[in-house]
Amino acid sequence: MSPAPSQFLPLHPLEFRILMTLNVGASYGASIVRQIEAQESSVGRLYPANLFRRIRDLTERGLLAETDRPEDADTRRTYVRLTDLGQDVLQAEARRLEALVRDARAHDLIGDAK
Amino acid sequence: MSPRATRGYRALARILPAEFRERWSADLEEVLADRLRTAGTSRWRRARVWLSLACDIALLAWRERFGNNDTTPAPESHPSMQYLLQDLRYAARTLRHAPTFSAIAIGTLAVGIAAATATYSVVYPVLIQAPPYPDPDRLVVVWPAGNANRSMVALAEEDMSSLERVTGLSNWTLTLTGAGEPIELTATLVSPHHFEVLGVAPMRGRSFAPEEEAPANSGVVVVSFDFWMNVLGGDPEIVGKVINLAGAGHERREIIGVMPRHFEPYDPKTRVWVPLAGDPGLPFEEDPTWYVNTRIARLSSDATLSQATAEVRTHLAGIQRRAPQIYAAEDVADATVVALATDRAGSVGSALWAAFGAVSLVLMIVCANLANLFLSRGDGRQRELALRAAIGASRQRIGRLVLLETAIVGAAGGIAGVLAAHALVDLLVRLAPDDFPGISYVTVDGPVLGVALVATLLTTLVASLYPIQRAARANGTAAIAGGGRGAAAANRAGFGAALIGVQIALALIVTAGSGLMLRSLDALLAIDPGLDSNGVLAFRPNPPEGGYPDNDAFKRYYADVVERVRTLPGVESAGAIHLLPGTFGNWSFPTYPEGLEIQDGQAVPSINYRAVRPGYFRSVRIPLLVGRILQEADNADGEMVVVVNDSLARRFWPGGDAVGKNIHLFSPTSDPARIVGIVADVRQHSRSVEPLPEMYFSHDQVGRSGMAMWITARFESGDPLDRVDDVQQAVWRIDADVPIAGMQSLGNALEESTRSTRFLTTLLSGFAAIALCLGAVGVYGVTAYATGRRRAEFGVRLALGASRRGILGSAMRRSLAPVSIGIVAGLAGARLSTQLLRDAIYGVPVDDPVTMLSAPAVLALVAIAAAAFPAWRASRVDPVEVLNGD
Repeated sequence: MSPAPSQFLPLHPLEFRILMTLNVGASYGASIVRQIEAQESSVGRLYPANLFRRIRDLTERGLLAETDRPEDADTRRTYVRLTDLGQDVLQAEARRLEALVRDARAHDLIGDAK
Repeated sequence: MSPRATRGYRALARILPAEFRERWSADLEEVLADRLRTAGTSRWRRARVWLSLACDIALLAWRERFGNNDTTPAPESHPSMQYLLQDLRYAARTLRHAPTFSAIAIGTLAVGIAAATATYSVVYPVLIQAPPYPDPDRLVVVWPAGNANRSMVALAEEDMSSLERVTGLSNWTLTLTGAGEPIELTATLVSPHHFEVLGVAPMRGRSFAPEEEAPANSGVVVVSFDFWMNVLGGDPEIVGKVINLAGAGHERREIIGVMPRHFEPYDPKTRVWVPLAGDPGLPFEEDPTWYVNTRIARLSSDATLSQATAEVRTHLAGIQRRAPQIYAAEDVADATVVALATDRAGSVGSALWAAFGAVSLVLMIVCANLANLFLSRGDGRQRELALRAAIGASRQRIGRLVLLETAIVGAAGGIAGVLAAHALVDLLVRLAPDDFPGISYVTVDGPVLGVALVATLLTTLVASLYPIQRAARANGTAAIAGGGRGAAAANRAGFGAALIGVQIALALIVTAGSGLMLRSLDALLAIDPGLDSNGVLAFRPNPPEGGYPDNDAFKRYYADVVERVRTLPGVESAGAIHLLPGTFGNWSFPTYPEGLEIQDGQAVPSINYRAVRPGYFRSVRIPLLVGRILQEADNADGEMVVVVNDSLARRFWPGGDAVGKNIHLFSPTSDPARIVGIVADVRQHSRSVEPLPEMYFSHDQVGRSGMAMWITARFESGDPLDRVDDVQQAVWRIDADVPIAGMQSLGNALEESTRSTRFLTTLLSGFAAIALCLGAVGVYGVTAYATGRRRAEFGVRLALGASRRGILGSAMRRSLAPVSIGIVAGLAGARLSTQLLRDAIYGVPVDDPVTMLSAPAVLALVAIAAAAFPAWRASRVDPVEVLNGD
């Protein structure tokens, strides 16, 4: 039986971004860096080695899994995808963050969404 | 990615654990290639990419090898926090118990950080920080400077599509009266849209309106923040008030604006700006405003520097065709458009990069020295660490303990270094010439402190990586058993020797650079400037034009000043010249020497022009070679005469018959001036510039209102600066409203031109001294360590009959082997690196044999001296004691 998603929460913000990026489809290290840096809410340049360590750890913990690379891709690239568990954890973390934002709004820390 | 970048990346990636490297190397390389592509050709941005990658990889390597790999978030009171504090206290205690080690390690690091931080603070505003204007990359300067008037600035703007707007600038001085002693102010005359071109608006009031270019409307002034605060008392209602600010066509001016505090004027000494006024619509040939020194422009959004340069050449070629006397054809071909940042760095750019390079090498030497110190310390603690491992301390905890010690040394060294850098920066600012680019913006603040922090972290981290790894992997059993002479110890000795080789090579590169600068300074000072400045006082009274409206009144004023000063007790002779040697202004005019045929399309020679009062040649002792010097009778009523220098006489009359010939200024049909004498050449601007042809006219014949003169007074004895008060009082007795500027000894004025060289020489010599000291400490440490390890061997060899001299030789040879390798490598490095100094040196070749032989000799002597003491001590061991002990 796979572990409950709640055991993995809270996620490190960088791990959350990695899972979110892979939610769209399988990808590989350098491309994940590019996609995260291009996100509108990204805080700027990432440290790639540190990010790759996070991908490796997420894989070891079963949230990501290695997958076949597309036929025309560089053979040195390793593609990873979200596992079902990863998918559940990502959703759980998103819900947790949403609840947090709701609380912040109730405390008048931020205004209502326009 | 270039092959070099790929090699660099692969070398860096070696510190990653093999498993991680194999899995992620291709991705890391791809990200690096992306970032280098985005950084473009900017060296600074590329360096930031590399630095960020190096930090990332180093941190990851540390985390993977020693760190806690548990990625679940830590609860707030994790036991590891307690361990950390415990270890921190323990590390601080052990350092306190090893005061010599701590002092040397912290001191070494502090010296390196102080030197690097102070140098970076000088380099930063000149070479790295963009000029503080919006969109600074598009601001450009048209070279050559000078030879332009107001109408040409307007024409340039009309003619060239690659330049959006052009502003002309002219250095000027204005006289402020009505607030105590009269003050001479450095002013800049500017086109009305000057501040719009730079993109900075006044913080109070407004900038100039287009109609204020007309002479009648130009009685307005924009003042600097500093002038507003310190002279006008920071009056919040200042805009609209009128001050007595005489010069450039007005006696009084209305203040219309105050610039913001951090606005950087093009000439850092500028305190006020006034309109560059003139009659509108004049063709440039008829516009008399020939004093525009600088043209700054904003590039159009799609233009590049090379397009602008091409367009400027076409534009100037048109001007040259219309008025060949203004530009020579080669000046047009040499014209170029440079970025404002390049123009700011001026001639010191390459030498500053060399200084920055030298201080980076010093930092590497510090790294090597620290690594050796940490290794030696590790050796001394091997048993203790092995014991800790034996009773259960994890590799991680031992590694952390050593890391914490290193961190404390790093923090203390970094803080001490930054504090020392503050003092050093003050010293550097005092040593630097006033006109050294960016010197008034030098300070130890945000970006500089950031670099100090990074330098400290990197230096400490690099120096400690191997020692920490070694400590964490210490072979417990062997160490406790008192071993330490196995393969690991041999590796460590080899590593120490390699570090010495590296240190010596780096120290040699720095020493050779400094040696070259010293030789260059020596060559510069050996040059005879052509006059005798000893005992001569120079100063420039500048009467306001309004008080002396006509040329005669102006000339009479200076005649009176020279006479008053000449009759002061102790004054041997006095004279005056309008451009003092050693100061940087120049006047040169198209000149037609008698008999010179000028072909069509050939440029008319432009000859340097000086106005002097008769006593000048005597007061600065310029020798008369032929004929006579100027005299009082050469006045407005007399025949127009001129004295020329030797270079001019030889160039146009190589037969030696210059005296008696005529010279025509501006046109071959203008009134002639007859040559009455030839004087020796003077190096007018700088010792490093060959004398140019020069003409000296009588001030009584050519002087005019507004032409300020430098007075030169030679005293019979004593320091001329002791007589400043007498001289000032004498001058003010003629007119108390005249400001006196530039009071100094003539020697000081001449020295000004060598101050940049002196400054850079001092900087590099300081680095060389540090490099030599650190090299000596390194050699001493390694020799002491090696001879300590071989003590038993020496004991046995002595017991078997070896001579003490033989032991001494053997110990010295072992230590000096890496030194010789370092010297050979360093020489090769020095040959390459001294190329950077090419523009900064004078009178010596970059591969000067004297420097290239003496620098290694000095270094070898220092190394021998450093190795001699421990080697001598090793040769004094008592064989009986050693054999009993083992």
